[in-house]
Amino acid sequence: MRTFLILLLSISAGFGELLTFDTTPFGSKESPLILRTFVPDPGLDPGVFANHGKAARSPKYNPAEGDDAEGEYEMMKVIPAAIAVNHGPSLSYVWDTTECRLLYAWQGGFLDLFPYWGDEGKGGRRAFDYSARLVGSLFYLAKPAARPKPKFLGYTLSKEGVPTFQFKLGEAEYGQTIEPVNRGYSFKIATSRGGRSDSTTYTGKLISRHQGFDRDLKIKKATTKAGQEVFKAYGCVACHSVDGSKGHGPSLAGLFGSKRPILEGDPVLADEAYLKESLSKPGAKTAEGFPPGYMPPYKFNEMEGASLILYLKSLSK
Amino acid sequence: MKALLLPFLVAPLLAGSYQIENIPFPENVPPEVGAIDFAPDGTFFAVLRRGDVFRAIPQEEASDWEWELFATGFHNGCGIDALSRDKIRVTQMAEFTEATDTDQDGAADQYRVFASGWGLSGNYHETNTITNDGQGGYYIAVGTASHNGPTAEHTLGEYSKIGRRGRNFSAVKWKGCTLHCDAKGNLTPFCFGFRMHNGIHRDSVGNLWGGDNQGDWRATTPFFHLKKGSFYGHPSSLVWDERWPKGRDPLDTYRRDLATYNSHRTWPAVQIPHAEMNRSAGEPYEIPKNFPHFPGQMLLPDNNGNRITRIMLEEVNGVYQGACTHFIDSKELRSGNHRIRFSPDGQQIYIGQTGRGWGKEAEGLQRITPKKKDEPFDITALKITSNGFEITFTKELARMLKKEDLSFQSFTYQSRWTYGSEQEDKRKNGVRGVEKTGDRTYRVSLEDFHPGRVYQLDVDEKVKSKEWKPIQNSLFYYTANEVPEG
Repeated sequence: MRTFLILLLSISAGFGELLTFDTTPFGSKESPLILRTFVPDPGLDPGVFANHGKAARSPKYNPAEGDDAEGEYEMMKVIPAAIAVNHGPSLSYVWDTTECRLLYAWQGGFLDLFPYWGDEGKGGRRAFDYSARLVGSLFYLAKPAARPKPKFLGYTLSKEGVPTFQFKLGEAEYGQTIEPVNRGYSFKIATSRGGRSDSTTYTGKLISRHQGFDRDLKIKKATTKAGQEVFKAYGCVACHSVDGSKGHGPSLAGLFGSKRPILEGDPVLADEAYLKESLSKPGAKTAEGFPPGYMPPYKFNEMEGASLILYLKSLSK
Repeated sequence: MKALLLPFLVAPLLAGSYQIENIPFPENVPPEVGAIDFAPDGTFFAVLRRGDVFRAIPQEEASDWEWELFATGFHNGCGIDALSRDKIRVTQMAEFTEATDTDQDGAADQYRVFASGWGLSGNYHETNTITNDGQGGYYIAVGTASHNGPTAEHTLGEYSKIGRRGRNFSAVKWKGCTLHCDAKGNLTPFCFGFRMHNGIHRDSVGNLWGGDNQGDWRATTPFFHLKKGSFYGHPSSLVWDERWPKGRDPLDTYRRDLATYNSHRTWPAVQIPHAEMNRSAGEPYEIPKNFPHFPGQMLLPDNNGNRITRIMLEEVNGVYQGACTHFIDSKELRSGNHRIRFSPDGQQIYIGQTGRGWGKEAEGLQRITPKKKDEPFDITALKITSNGFEITFTKELARMLKKEDLSFQSFTYQSRWTYGSEQEDKRKNGVRGVEKTGDRTYRVSLEDFHPGRVYQLDVDEKVKSKEWKPIQNSLFYYTANEVPEG
């Protein structure tokens, strides 16, 4: 990861840098990158979310029965409506449009969006675990504070692209600008109200280190159970049910070993070779009744691939 | 020999009448097109899912397009209104944002909340899109969340435990609703009951239209005429309808009582068989008067197929209903079709595509141009009568239409909690008689003809135009909610 970061730094990211298939985008000190996405909650005090709704665990849904299933859905530790800003290695921070305040800051990297954006070659994003991950050293976390009701108004960019957030607390209107300074674990925060501006430099201490999203599912031995984890992680279930119920793509229940009607010709036997081809080259044979060219190709490492095949086979027992 | 014959055996569908070009984005940019629009000066804008908004002056040669990065920082923007070359409004996940280039340096420097108030649960599925209301405001289609993804612990806006239940859910405000947004950005719920109306459109006479995706409480792909206060069949959003009893679970209520469900909901103006025509409706769009083919009819992209549906509407007993067929059904078209705009001169169609990050094969921007001004040989109007249909072709026929040229059958759909429903109560409808009533128009009377059914028409390949051209489309469906008095 570190080598990768250094590599990135050697390319100067000027104003107007495009977002690409790269899932670790980067701004620069002079010209920050602004990204709105589902950013992680790295352990904020729940009191910070005073103006958010409070979600609850919810019974799982069984799409074959149309009713509750056993178990409950876990909630994800993400902040839904925040803005993430990166000034290169010197400063990254998350400013929230709901609470209208700086929530946390880190340095040495930005976000790894692999679980949300997916990978160009490898395919889809994660299904339930798609929160972007921090890269770098976290050194500031907001604390609960009694404040009037916030209302986000927007932001303006300086010539260099540095945002000043505009918001109201009660009736009073504010502007807030956060910038890097030449000191570790620090930033400058300037808050203006009615022509008056206060600026302070905050210096914190290392709270935690973050290395992005761990893409390795850590499968030591190919098993059906590990295959189920791969199936879950890659979000296959968003299109393919495993219980025969309908969805965007064909159900995988009973697929292995069956005769498969395909668009391209005579029915084929869904053997192991067919399963492998359908994962790596889904366009080669399209299941009848479904659109060609919709499923992206997936590349798995050896253990992931072998486990997934075992799991798919188990759906025919 | 077999290979040689093949091209003649395959039906002559259906890119044949149209040239389809790929318009490439800059290299290495994921072309996940959330929304597209033309500014009044002809500048073309495209919002991409990761946050960038590009603009370009359209060029005749697809490879000559020079994209400029106009704005960035939007979370999955899926609706855009390009007010000028320097000002756009984009619906992103959490809010409706206006971005302006105030100093004319080519990039937006002011991002202002134009409207906000719907919630965001943290679920990946909750995208929004817009159409103009004709008075400086908008209608906003707010999609539901999917049970294939989670919610956050802390949500934007109030959380509803009841709304969280089911396959596609409405855990936070106004998911599955259509909102009205006035010119000042004030939001009010307009109508309810959507699963994922990924595209709404206000037509030239002011009617509002929206599609949806076959799925839970969607027997097949529906096409709705949107009216204030109505309920369009997906129950989850009712938790945000003030008229719905507080604390009652709408899913549970209707799951157990389909008769009440059917009486409460407004049925689709057109039910579009999902495998045969359109699996997942994108943004509907009226064909402008100066487009050479089928002006005034409606196009509906398929977000899950290499197709665009053509919809022919009419008003019967005071309500809209009508027929559908293919406009394009061709592998030259990508499969993630969901946004559509006509070029300012009305002669070309731009189609934005995405599988919302699930599939690269389905993403991009294409341009569709008629090869000839002359309309292809097809059915241009399918209208209901008291005992059958009146069919108008685009061309005079080579000979008088015969009973044997047409085959009719009909069926019904019942939406319920399942992901789609089968066609039910299928019946053959024999052709009683065919009568020529105009140069290109025929009246067909049918046996066993009743309202409340979808009628399927298959046209025999023997039907040829005077120029001996085969008919471009041979499959049509008419949703007969109403039958006019004789």
